Amino acid sequence: MNPVFHIALDEWRYWRRSRLGAAATLVTLVLLVASSVVTYQTVTAERQARDQLQDAAQSIFLDQPARHPHRMVHYGHYAFRTPPPLALADPGVDQFTGAAVFLEGHRQNSATFSPAYSGPQGIRFANLSPATVYQVLVPLLLVVVGFSAFSRERELRTDQMLLAAPVGPGQIWLGKTLALVGLALVLLLPLLLLVLLIGEDRLAGLVLVAGYAVYLLVWASITVSVSARSRASSSSLVVLLALWLAVCIVVPRGASTAAQALLPIPSKVETDLAVADAVRNLGDGHNAGDPAFARLRANLLAEYGVDRVEDLPVNFRGVVAEASEADLTKVMDDFAERYAGQELAQAQLLRWASVLSPMLALRAFSTTMAGTDLAHRHQFLREAEAIRYEFVQGLNRAHASELTYSDDMQRSRDAASEKRTRVSPTNWATALKEFHLQVNPASERWQRAFPYLLLLAVFAALAAGLGLSRRTAKGWA
Amino acid sequence: MGLITRELWFALRERTVQVTLLVALFSAAVAVVSGLKTVGDQQQLIEKLKTETAAERALAVAAQVDPGGTAYYGFHFTYAPPSALAFAALGTRDTLAWKHRVRMLALEGQLYEADTGNPELSLSGKLDFAFVVAVLAPLLLIFLLHDSEAGERRSNRHELLRVTAPEGRKLYTVRAALRAALLWLALVIPFAAAALLAGAPGSGIAVVLGAAAFSVAFWLLLCRLVVSRITTGPACAAGLLGLWLVLTVVVPASGKLLARAKVEVPSGGELLLAQREAVNDAWDLPKQDTMDPFIERHPEWAPYRSIERPFEWKWYYAFQQVGDQVVEELSRAIREGVAQRDLMMARLAWVSPPLLVERWMTGAAATDVPSFQAYEACVRSYHAQLRAYYYPLLFEATPFSEEAKALVPEFEPCAREGSA
Repeated sequence: MNPVFHIALDEWRYWRRSRLGAAATLVTLVLLVASSVVTYQTVTAERQARDQLQDAAQSIFLDQPARHPHRMVHYGHYAFRTPPPLALADPGVDQFTGAAVFLEGHRQNSATFSPAYSGPQGIRFANLSPATVYQVLVPLLLVVVGFSAFSRERELRTDQMLLAAPVGPGQIWLGKTLALVGLALVLLLPLLLLVLLIGEDRLAGLVLVAGYAVYLLVWASITVSVSARSRASSSSLVVLLALWLAVCIVVPRGASTAAQALLPIPSKVETDLAVADAVRNLGDGHNAGDPAFARLRANLLAEYGVDRVEDLPVNFRGVVAEASEADLTKVMDDFAERYAGQELAQAQLLRWASVLSPMLALRAFSTTMAGTDLAHRHQFLREAEAIRYEFVQGLNRAHASELTYSDDMQRSRDAASEKRTRVSPTNWATALKEFHLQVNPASERWQRAFPYLLLLAVFAALAAGLGLSRRTAKGWA
Repeated sequence: MGLITRELWFALRERTVQVTLLVALFSAAVAVVSGLKTVGDQQQLIEKLKTETAAERALAVAAQVDPGGTAYYGFHFTYAPPSALAFAALGTRDTLAWKHRVRMLALEGQLYEADTGNPELSLSGKLDFAFVVAVLAPLLLIFLLHDSEAGERRSNRHELLRVTAPEGRKLYTVRAALRAALLWLALVIPFAAAALLAGAPGSGIAVVLGAAAFSVAFWLLLCRLVVSRITTGPACAAGLLGLWLVLTVVVPASGKLLARAKVEVPSGGELLLAQREAVNDAWDLPKQDTMDPFIERHPEWAPYRSIERPFEWKWYYAFQQVGDQVVEELSRAIREGVAQRDLMMARLAWVSPPLLVERWMTGAAATDVPSFQAYEACVRSYHAQLRAYYYPLLFEATPFSEEAKALVPEFEPCAREGSA
């Protein structure tokens, strides 16, 4: 057998004998399994609940009786954000974003009711999603198990015997790292199982697991390399713990604070006010007499060769509603896109700190692959908006074609006219499409996530380089 | 030279101590400076939005001649200003709303907007002073103390010191306590400076200083217990780290799971659907079906209950209110569930000192869940004021002059300094 494997096996034997390593591994495994089971249950329940609410909202809308179409514009509809399948592994930003949007005419409402609203609060990173456990706690385990890989031999003076054997320092490093990587792979089994169990989106799930494997490889190499360069186990441990603290806890928080300070973005209320300001002169779509629609009226009259709106073959009020919704939506979309862009830019600034923290690189990779990153939140808002615009305009078209202008004008005074302005519910089904948020194709996610995996690979190479460098070998020999 | 002076001299000359104290001082300083900036930004934003919302309302209602239209188009800005201590513990202010624009329509549809900040930033959490004290300080103390006895053992001084030092074993206790005290000082000096600058109340400052002292003292005790029983430095460190992990992560995280499992909170989606149904059905129902439950709540308007025309503003706002009434139970159940879960976390905090410390600090800074709920209650009471202002105008149809328009109640934040 290759001496590298001998060394690795010997390391495993040592961990089994030292109670510390065995106990820590056992505790971590229990945590992993528990977190997987609990997250699986909660997210599955959430997915079902949101799907049910979505179906309920859909059928409630379609079951509405005959009505004036504009009533349905204000009756509105709901879009619920159903978590993607891989949210079971990494819930990502979904914990903090609204889960339901009310869709109605003339407004783009914000999402309401984030899971954080009713969730118990306390120590933010104390959540046991599989993602957090793998990102923060497993590295700590690798450090605690592996910090003495080299320094222990030095302290016990067994290094001399090792060096007397026909193996080079590089092989020793490789063997010890292999041992730790082996442990990491064992610890990855629950995640792999979880991904296979989820079933949907399996390819992306496997890629996700691969990302975590590279991340743990980074930690395994760093741990053994630092141990190889440390004179004593105690200093190796202190250095590694400081590194863990910086990478997993301080840098992410510091970067978040810095991004907030360096690139502040307007609040939602500010954006709402700016939208209100921008649309003030667009005219009120409820009022067909608004001077803002004079041009529209003139064009329409000319097109049909009539003098009065009453003589148009279409209901002018419906035409105005449709035109005004289109103008309004253009402005609102502009603001929404600008806001999304600002949010992304701020998050991007935070993600730049990935060059200091492999944990941030992995988080970006993991949330992107899982479909629980900021881009998917924006996608949810966009798709909800698309549904909103479509049903509102569908209803506006019914408003223009299914009822007469004079009935429409008379309806608040005359009960018979009012009755004639009610259009058949078949119009609801024509206007409203089903809303089912689909996560982007895996290939598209992979394209965005890939740079972070590359960065992780660079980290792994650097850590290995540190361990295999001549200086380390010299210090060791 | 006394024992204390001598140990102080030793401590300050030691590399580990110097580095750890510098790290503590630096992180505390960064935390309070960024906290001050965050709070300053929030205050500025509040001022800006106050004037902007008022200006927007003035424009929107300028053309409105009746109270109904004025109420419909007039948005009002509500907010919970950060307390003077909020910089030290930012708490839930990045995940739970502390500002809403509301108008006279059914309130339940307006209270639950979730877009409070960039969620990707919330995912990392903020580096605030509460975090430094509750989570970071214990780790720094473990760094400082894990090797204190084992190090002497390695240098073969341990037994010698024990038998020759007049203080005997007490020496290590004094040494550790002194280092812990230095750490506490390094943490609280930046905080105290910032607190004085921010004009924080003395009681709140005392709570934060006490919380920091408790955090350091608790971990000092744990360190002593472990260090005096385990003979090698790395084993001490690993053991202490395990304890840190259990108390800081595992216990609070399991507590959250437990609170979720034990306390049912009705889903917000249900509330939204139910409320919309109530509000919208009113359009098709006979007018009196809306007016009856409304009059039940507001008997004073009984004489005006008959609605003659297909559309009247007073009927419109009556069904808005009935919409709120219909989901009252559900809304209360949600609020009570949230409070109940928070209560469970409060109880659980007694077995997780880091959580306890964080809760003390967010309590003192009024950035905890009760403070959030107090803000919600404040918005509710303001909304009730708006109704109280508009109802006479709508029902008695008193002439709506520009003077009357100007009398609309202004939002005043409800006073809530820390619960300390």
